Amino acid sequence: MANILILLIIGFPWLGALIVWLIGDARPKTQHTLAVAFSLLSGISSLILLAFINSQPAIDLSLGTSFGNLTFTPDGLAVSLTVIATVVGSLAVLFSVDYMRGEAQLGRYYFMVLFFIGAMAGLVLSGNLLFTFFFWEITALCSYGLISFYNDDPKAVAGGIKALIITQVGGVGLLAGALISYANLGSFQISELLGRADTIPTAALSFIAFSFLIAAAAKSAQFPFHTWLPDAMEAPTPISALIHAATMVNAGIYLLARFYPAFESVPGWKTAVILVGVTSALITAFMALTATDLKRALAYSTVSQLGYMVYAIGAGGVLASQFHLFSHAVFKALLFLTAGSVIHAVGTRDMRRMGGLGAKMPFARNVFIIGALALAGIPIFNGFWSKELILEVGLEHSPMWAYALMLLGAGLTAFYTFRMTWMVFFGTPRETLHIHPIGLAMKISLAVLSIGTFTTWLLFGGLNGILSTSLPFHEIEAESTLEMIKAVSFAPATWFALLVVTLGLGLFFAFGRKFALSESPAWLSTLTESSFGFEPVNRFVVSLVSNGAEKLRATQTGQLNWNILAIVGALLVVLAALVWGGAL
Amino acid sequence: MKLTEINIILIGIVSLLGVGFYGLLITRNLIKVVMVLQILVKAVVLAFVFSGKVSGNLGLGQSIAATVIVADTIVAVVGLALAVQVRRRFGTLDAPEISTLRG
Amino acid sequence: MNLLNFIWMITIPLIASPVVYLSGRLGTHEVVLQRRSYLVRGLALLAILLAWVPFVFSVRTFLTGGLLEFNIESIWLRVDGISLLVAAMVLVLGTMVILFSGPYMAGEVGEEKYYAMLLAMIGLMIGLACADDLFNLWVWFEGMAVSSYLLVAFYREQPASLEAGMKYLVQSAVGSVLVLLGVALVLANAGTLDMSGIHEAISRSEVNRWALLGAGALFVIGFGVKVAIVPLHTWLPDAHSQAPSGISAMLSGVVIEAGLIAMLRALSVLPGFSISWGILFMSFGALNILYGNLLALRQTMVKRLLAYSSLSHIGYILLGLGVAFYSGAELGAQGAFFHLFTHMLMKGLAFLAVGALIYGMFLQNDSHASLKVTDLAGAAQKYPLVALAFSIAVLALGGLPPLAGFMSKWQIFVAGFQVQNNWVTALMIFMALNSVLSLAYYAPLVNLMYRKSPSEQVLAGKPLPMAITLPLLLMMLAVIVLGFVPQLMNWVTAPAAQTFIAMFGR
Repeated sequence: MANILILLIIGFPWLGALIVWLIGDARPKTQHTLAVAFSLLSGISSLILLAFINSQPAIDLSLGTSFGNLTFTPDGLAVSLTVIATVVGSLAVLFSVDYMRGEAQLGRYYFMVLFFIGAMAGLVLSGNLLFTFFFWEITALCSYGLISFYNDDPKAVAGGIKALIITQVGGVGLLAGALISYANLGSFQISELLGRADTIPTAALSFIAFSFLIAAAAKSAQFPFHTWLPDAMEAPTPISALIHAATMVNAGIYLLARFYPAFESVPGWKTAVILVGVTSALITAFMALTATDLKRALAYSTVSQLGYMVYAIGAGGVLASQFHLFSHAVFKALLFLTAGSVIHAVGTRDMRRMGGLGAKMPFARNVFIIGALALAGIPIFNGFWSKELILEVGLEHSPMWAYALMLLGAGLTAFYTFRMTWMVFFGTPRETLHIHPIGLAMKISLAVLSIGTFTTWLLFGGLNGILSTSLPFHEIEAESTLEMIKAVSFAPATWFALLVVTLGLGLFFAFGRKFALSESPAWLSTLTESSFGFEPVNRFVVSLVSNGAEKLRATQTGQLNWNILAIVGALLVVLAALVWGGAL
Repeated sequence: MKLTEINIILIGIVSLLGVGFYGLLITRNLIKVVMVLQILVKAVVLAFVFSGKVSGNLGLGQSIAATVIVADTIVAVVGLALAVQVRRRFGTLDAPEISTLRG
Repeated sequence: MNLLNFIWMITIPLIASPVVYLSGRLGTHEVVLQRRSYLVRGLALLAILLAWVPFVFSVRTFLTGGLLEFNIESIWLRVDGISLLVAAMVLVLGTMVILFSGPYMAGEVGEEKYYAMLLAMIGLMIGLACADDLFNLWVWFEGMAVSSYLLVAFYREQPASLEAGMKYLVQSAVGSVLVLLGVALVLANAGTLDMSGIHEAISRSEVNRWALLGAGALFVIGFGVKVAIVPLHTWLPDAHSQAPSGISAMLSGVVIEAGLIAMLRALSVLPGFSISWGILFMSFGALNILYGNLLALRQTMVKRLLAYSSLSHIGYILLGLGVAFYSGAELGAQGAFFHLFTHMLMKGLAFLAVGALIYGMFLQNDSHASLKVTDLAGAAQKYPLVALAFSIAVLALGGLPPLAGFMSKWQIFVAGFQVQNNWVTALMIFMALNSVLSLAYYAPLVNLMYRKSPSEQVLAGKPLPMAITLPLLLMMLAVIVLGFVPQLMNWVTAPAAQTFIAMFGR
């Protein structure tokens, strides 16, 4: 049964992708309907799969040498992420029905969205590193295609290519790690790597661990690869919600969580993970403080929240990180989609031009506030519980400085979240913007997500249950929702965090409104606009390569005599090299 | 080094090769380029005769030499034909002047 | 008789070549001219389709363990895994190109010469892959080269293609002189040119190792000119960009690879240097990848860009072979041969797709202009299939799944990492990073084609006939299918790799 379900989860969206694309752009209505239908079917299949969780592969096909066995394992980690990918995926597709109405080239849009949903499910379900990599790259391909969906906009194209190249660099890390593990173990099976990690020589194992960290950081837009995600905001908003908040960027977290038991003992690895998490969480929180573009602000906060998850893994809290990932996927998708409906309605992304929209768009305001409260970590919303869990793990298992910095991050988060909300929905309108009404499909998906934001934390026990029973290497203790509530409510970490969050809010209400609309201090805006100096590094690398390439063109002289000289010269060099090598 | 038959052929090969490669490096006129190529081919022909001789399989060396002559004549013919066309289209045979493709 | 089937694979195209030429010269009346063109195309297509029959029989014989060899006096032709691989590549691409060229070359002066030369080149390449004697190998090689000179310079009205043809001819001729010198060196030391004979002679008697090394260097550089090893590649961007598109596809897809096969065959007679060849191949491979990528990065002409990308793909293949030389791993050779095949499909598809755009946008409007990158803007509006095919081709070349290029590169990676040597591992990572770099010039092409505001050239474009789109569709499907089911090609890449290992006696 599980094997059929897995095939359906991947097959439905992929089949749908083909069909929607083949129908052609002349029938947009059919395209919308079919896209929603196929993504929903996939979502339903993955919900049913929850009942078939198992640590053993459900599908095992031999593909011959150098490709290994194609296996899919429906364990807790994989299925929970599959559910997120397909359910949030169907909501984003539903949202697109309104958002993308009247757009040209819908076939291409839905093809890539559906192709992505299937690939994302495949990525987490795959039990073979080759296929993990295979799906990993497909998600990068789709992400690139969707970021640069508006090909006429040079910013969109540049953003897409930037995302593609940076995540591909990460892909090289995954590739190298996977192959080193294959060279040592003779198998691509993830379970083999987890089970026999101690038989791999230390040097090779730390190589694998750190390459996977690079891969994860690039995919999840973590320091020092955090520069691509803000530029990826040129994508249509449902894409930002689906790929760049709720699913694809989680692939890095998934990778770290999946292989945590194998790398735990590698010296320096956990510290490096904590470092990456803390740095990302903090610097992007600062960047979100001064951002004026609504989607970019949300993107910064995504990187920052992903930083929390990375930090949690570094501190050993795989469960906490997965729980936060779950909450974050829901509330961030909600925030993005609401932002999308606002942007769709007013036609700009610049928060300085908005203001006072709450009165005209009460529905959007209400759901955005729900999302914002969860992001800020206000009690009873799902973001509160999961963030507290992370900070609790951090307090117990990570260095004090890291914990303190993360605490600071929580305060900053509260501050920038309220700044964002206030700038868009409250205050006096700064410009008269023409407002389009929000469509029904949009409202449905927003409503579902906001209910989720209220309630998904109640599923903690379930998540914990499937993780603890089906991951033999992770040693996760079973804990029910009630126990978690008790633990969190009485943990000192919670009270520290609440204190800091309140402090952040207090600061916002004291100075925030003035701060939000005034020019931020020059040093801060320079620092944040250059992504803390990493944007110039990117630009330097790009210009180095392209200038170098331009200079190198001089070597192709087009002159016959020089060409002959190259032949003769190469002959002499090869002769000399062979003689030298032969003499050794 | 004594001037035996073998050595004389060897010197011939080396000097023909030298002349040929030097010629290719400095010649600009396309007709001359084809001619210089033929000098190189002559060096090769001599080399086969030489190899046949030293390996005691002169018959094989000679038959190969004859084939090489035939085959490279075809190359020379094609080269000259192209040179003629170049002269027609560009109005010159000077190699650097016809070099428009670069970079 | 069954054993000789493979001879027909070589002779059918070679016999068809003069027949096609002569049939194209029949009559000069206006009425005849139009029909003559169809006759020529039809005959050429028939010939290549006929050549498939002996190929299929040869494959059957080969896979059931039958021996396929043929000799006239001391000239031997033998079919092994590598020959089959080359024959498969040449026939696949040859069929597609002949089909594609029908409308593309229609009405050109000397259409019959084009098909005659193309068929001759196809036959000669299959022959080259079967040659079992050093000198014989050179004869096939030279024959293939001469036919390709004429094809590159086919547009003799175009100064640029004459220039490209001339440079190609001179540099190739220098290469072939070097090869001959190498052959002469081997002859002087071994007294025979039969490949197995040389092996025996060299292992039996006291030979001058230095002379053999010298011969090896001459082979590497001599054939290397054809393979376009950097820095011997200088003819390639010119020739590939100026030839008719079908020929660009052939050159990039099979001709330079045939040169590589010839190089391997020639090197196989010199025993005991595998490590040296391995290091040499890997260094040249790395150089080719980097140089090809960097030069492609700033190109403004589409075909020239693809030509430089061929350089980097030859680099991947060299790297795979280098790993196989170095470690004796069959997997490396298999990966390299698989990449040989997928590169043929991907690059063939890319060049044919560009050709289709040139046909629709320029040739149909009586222009012989080159396709600039900016002309691609909005091409998807008018030519959705071509744009899709070209996108898939370049993304596959960039190594993105689920396309064929990913799987063949993966196989090379696996082989490289299995060597467990730090240098080789570093090279593999270098190769992977370069693969990422290549996306920096492939991806913008895709973005450009899917823009909504089309370029003037696209607006003025004419519709494309079936004969042009059909090959694109078929090759596109092949690229996708091989991405999902890479083991489909094992039946030919595995024997080819075994042949490789057998040739270098590990």
